[in-house]
Amino acid sequence: MSKQQSEVPYGTLDLLILKTLEAMGTMHGYAIARRIEQVSGDSLQLSQGSVYPALVRLQQEGWIDTEWGISETSRKVKFYSLTRTGRKQLRVEVANWEKATALVARFLEASS
Amino acid sequence: MTVRRLVEGTLALMRKRRLDRELEDEILAHLELAERDAMARGLSPDEARLAARRSFGGIEQVKEEHRDRRGFRWIETLLRDLRYGLGSLLRAPGFTAVVVGVLALGIGANVAMFGVVDGVLLKPLPFPEPDRMVGVWEAPRPGVSNATSVPDFLDWKRLATVFEALSAEQTVSAAIDSGGEPVRLSGKAVTADYFRVFATGARLGRTFTAEEDRPGAAGVVVLSHAAWQNYFGADPDILHRRILLDGEPHRVIGVLQRGAFDRDQTQFWKPLVFTPAQQVREIHWLAVYGRLRGGATLNQAVERMQAIHAALLELHPIDNREGTIVVEPLARLLVGANLQRSVSVAFGAVALVLLIACANVASLLLARGATRRKELAVRAALGAGRGRLISQLLAESIVLCLMGGAAGVAVARLLIRAAAPILSQALPFTADVRIDLRVLGFAAAVSLGVALLAGALPALQTPFGNLSESLNRAARGSSGAHVRARRAIVVGEVALSLVLVCGAVLLFRSLLKLQRLDTGVRLENVITMSVDLPVGAYPTPQKAALFYQTAAQRLRAVPGVAQAALSTHLPLQWIGNGEGLKAPGTDKFVYVRFKRVDPGYFATFGIPVLRGRGIADRDRDGAPRAIVINQALAVRLADVAGMKDPVGKTVRLTCPGYLEKRVFMPEVEIVGVIRSERVASPGSPDPAVAYVPLAQVPALGVRLIVRTRAETAAVMPAIRKAMREIDSNLPLGDVATMQQVRERTLSGSSHPAWLIGAFAGVAVLLTAIGLYGVLSHAVTQQRREIGIRMALGARSFDVLSHVLWNAMSMVAAGLVLGMLGAFALTRVMKSLLFEVSPLDPVALIVACISIALIGLVAGFLPANRAVHIDPVTTLRDEG
Repeated sequence: MSKQQSEVPYGTLDLLILKTLEAMGTMHGYAIARRIEQVSGDSLQLSQGSVYPALVRLQQEGWIDTEWGISETSRKVKFYSLTRTGRKQLRVEVANWEKATALVARFLEASS
Repeated sequence: MTVRRLVEGTLALMRKRRLDRELEDEILAHLELAERDAMARGLSPDEARLAARRSFGGIEQVKEEHRDRRGFRWIETLLRDLRYGLGSLLRAPGFTAVVVGVLALGIGANVAMFGVVDGVLLKPLPFPEPDRMVGVWEAPRPGVSNATSVPDFLDWKRLATVFEALSAEQTVSAAIDSGGEPVRLSGKAVTADYFRVFATGARLGRTFTAEEDRPGAAGVVVLSHAAWQNYFGADPDILHRRILLDGEPHRVIGVLQRGAFDRDQTQFWKPLVFTPAQQVREIHWLAVYGRLRGGATLNQAVERMQAIHAALLELHPIDNREGTIVVEPLARLLVGANLQRSVSVAFGAVALVLLIACANVASLLLARGATRRKELAVRAALGAGRGRLISQLLAESIVLCLMGGAAGVAVARLLIRAAAPILSQALPFTADVRIDLRVLGFAAAVSLGVALLAGALPALQTPFGNLSESLNRAARGSSGAHVRARRAIVVGEVALSLVLVCGAVLLFRSLLKLQRLDTGVRLENVITMSVDLPVGAYPTPQKAALFYQTAAQRLRAVPGVAQAALSTHLPLQWIGNGEGLKAPGTDKFVYVRFKRVDPGYFATFGIPVLRGRGIADRDRDGAPRAIVINQALAVRLADVAGMKDPVGKTVRLTCPGYLEKRVFMPEVEIVGVIRSERVASPGSPDPAVAYVPLAQVPALGVRLIVRTRAETAAVMPAIRKAMREIDSNLPLGDVATMQQVRERTLSGSSHPAWLIGAFAGVAVLLTAIGLYGVLSHAVTQQRREIGIRMALGARSFDVLSHVLWNAMSMVAAGLVLGMLGAFALTRVMKSLLFEVSPLDPVALIVACISIALIGLVAGFLPANRAVHIDPVTTLRDEG
C-alpha cells in the first residue's frame, strides 16, 4: 500500500459514480469501478466491491436506474444509468464539492 | 428517512432472498470480468483469480453493507432474534408453558376488564354525535329529580330552541300476540321526535312521523331488531303484518337497525299520544330526552331551560311549586358515579394482578438466566456484544409475552362470554363489551409492555463478565445479584397481593354486612310475579279492584299457599311513584313515595304495625279513604307539621287517576304507622312512604306476592292454574322469588366483591408460586452448603428453620410495604363500602395472616426438601 494512494474521501464515491455514469452512459458495476480506477490514474485505493452498496443507495434515492443486460462474459448483470433527478443531483453535488474545495483552498492560502 | 427509502426498505425486507441472489450473481460477474481483464494483461488463470479478488475487496463485507443499505438492518436482526428466541423457548417447554400460563391469566383478565372499561367509560355512546344527547328533568329540591307534565313538556318543546329534537317517553309493557303463546314485552311510548333524539334509523320501513303522536292517529309500532328476530322469526314481511298489543291491532311500520337498542329491555316503541285529560300541570310522568342543536353548549341549554321554567312557574303558579331544571349529558346519566367507581377499582385491581404476573415472569426469567449463564458466557467469549446478547434476551421475552398475549386474548374472550349475563345486568345498554380492534390493540400493547417490564431486569442482570469467572460460577452454581433481585421481586409481589387481598376482604366484609342487613321484611318462601291488566278488559277501577280481591282469595285457596297479597311495588325495590301530601296547618308539601297495597301485604311480609291498624278489607271503594304511613313519614310529619301522633289525623294526598293521567287530592285519614321496610338500596335513608289501599286507588300493573308453606317452585304450577281460571288472557311476567329480588338490589355491591375477590385469589396464587420458585431455587443452589452444615452436625430443625426464616423475612418485608400500599389505595373504595371503613383493622389483619400462612406453605415445601438432603451424595456430586 503506497503512501501516495489515498482512500476514497467519505461521500465522494457517490459523486464519482454519478459523474462516471454521466460521462459514459449506461454501464455495469465492474465497468464503473474500472472507470473510476482508470480516471484516478491509480492514485485512488478503491475496493471495487464498495461500488455495489453505493449503487444500491443511489438507486434507492432514485438517482440511477437499473436494467438487466448481458456482460462481456455473457452473464446476466445489472446495467446502471443516470436518471433525470440523478442528473440534477449530480449538478448539486458538483456545486457543493466546488464550494467546499474552494473554501478549503482559500483557507489554506490564507493561513500559509 | 424519506418515504421512498421507507418503501424501498420494506420491499427489500420482503424480497431478501431474491436480492441476496441477485447481488451474488452481480459479484460473480464482476469477478469474471476482472479475471478476464487480468488474464488479458498476461497473468495466469490462478494469478488472475487472486488479483480479481484482491481488487474487489472483502466480498462478505460488501454483502453485509449491501444488506444494510437496502433494508432495515434492525428489523432483520429482530426477526432473527425472535426466531432464535422461539427456538430456545421450544427447547424448554415446561418453562415456556408456565410463563405463558401465568401471562395468559394476567393479560387475559386485563384485556377482558379493558373491554368493560372501554365499553362503559371510553367509547362514545353508540349514537351519532352523542355529545349532543341530554336528559332533562325537574329538580324540586337539589338532588331530587322529578318527571315532567304534559303541558310543561309541550312548552319546553315550543320554547327551547337549543334543542334540535326533544322527546318524552313513558315505559310501558304489553302482551304481544304474534300467533303463539302471548308474551309480555316491555316497550316505550314515545313522542314522534324520539328517534331523532337517538338518531337511530329503521332497517326495514320507517320510524315515526310527526303526525303519528297526534290524537286520532292509527296504532303503529316500531320493533327493535332483537324483538323482530326473537319474537317474529325475522319475518321479512313484518311490515305487512298487524300485531296485537294487549289485544289491540297495531301496524308494524319499522324494524330498527341492529345496534345498541338490542341490548336494551325495550323491545318495541309506540307513539305517545296525549289525551286532553292529560293536559294538566299537576301530574308529572314524562321522562324527557333531547338532542342539542349543533353548536349549542350544555350551559346554554341549562340557562335556556331554567329561564323557561321560571317563566312557566310565574305563568302557572300551582301549589307553590319550586325548584329548577337539570340538563345532564346522556352519557353521565347512563354511567353513574358508582358504576364508574366500581369499574375503575376493578380495573386497578386487575392491573395489580398483571404486575404480580410480570414479577413472576421476571423472576422465572432471572432463574433461567442464572442457569444459562454458561451459554451466555460462551457466546460472549465468541464475540457477541453485550448489546446483542441483551437484545436477544429481550427478543426471547417478547416472544414469550406475545404467546402469553395471544393466549390471554383467548382467556379474555372466555371471560367476557362467561360474564355476559352479569355484564348485561350491571352495565347500561349502551355499553358494548366485546373484543374488537381497540381491545386487541390494548392486548398487544400490554404484552409488549410486560415483555419490557419483565424482560429488562433479567436481561440487564445477566452477567457478561469474563469468561472463566462466569464458567466457574456457573459450575459452582453460587448466586449473587440475581438472587437479591429475585428476593426483591418476591417482596414486591407480597406487597401487591396484600393490597389486593385487603381490598377483597373489605368488599366481602361490606357484602356480609349487607347480607345481614335487616330488610324489615320476611323474605323466605315468597314468590312474586307481575300482572298488567289490559285496559280493554278492565276499563273501570271497580273492575280492577274486583280482580284484585278475587285474585288474592283464589291464591290463598291454592294448596301449599300460606299467604297472598298484591301491591304496586315490592319491598327492596325503589318506589318510582311520588306524590305530595299536605298536612293541616301548613301549606308546604311533604313529598312521599306512593305505594298501593292490598289488605294482605303487611301480614305476608311480616311488617309490624306499630300504631293504629294496617290496611283492612273495609278500606274499599266508597269507604272513607285511609292510608298507612311508615316511620320515616311519621318523623317527617312531626318535623313539618308538628304532628305528634299522626294516627287518626286527616291529611290531603294527591292520587293518580286510574286510566286518565290526572290527579285528585282527596282527604285521607292516617289509620296506622308501620315499621319502615327497606325501599331504597342499602346505605341510603328510608324515604317517607304512604301506603294507600289498592282497592281505593287501583292501578293497572301490580305484583302478585305469594308466601308458600314449603319450596316455592312446587306451588308455581298451581298458582298459574288459579290465575288462568280468573282470567285466561293474563300473562304472568317477571316471576322471581324475594331472594332473587334481594340479590338484584344488592348486586351493585356483590359483583365488585366477587370480581376483586377472584383477582385477589389469582394474585395470592401467583405470589405463592413466586415465593415457592425463589425458595426452591435457593435450596437447589445451597445444597452443598446445607450438606456441609448437616455433615458438621446441623439438625433437621436448624435447616428447616433456616429456609423458613428465609421465606418469612421476605414475606414480612412485603407485608410492611403492602400495608403502606393498602393505606394509600383502599381509600379509593370508600364509596363502594357499606358500613366498613377503608382502614378496617380486621380486614388488614385477616389479609396479613392469610398471606403469611400462604407464605409458610410455599416455604415449607422447599424447606422440607432441604431437610432431606443427604450430605454424602451432595458432597460427592459436587466434588
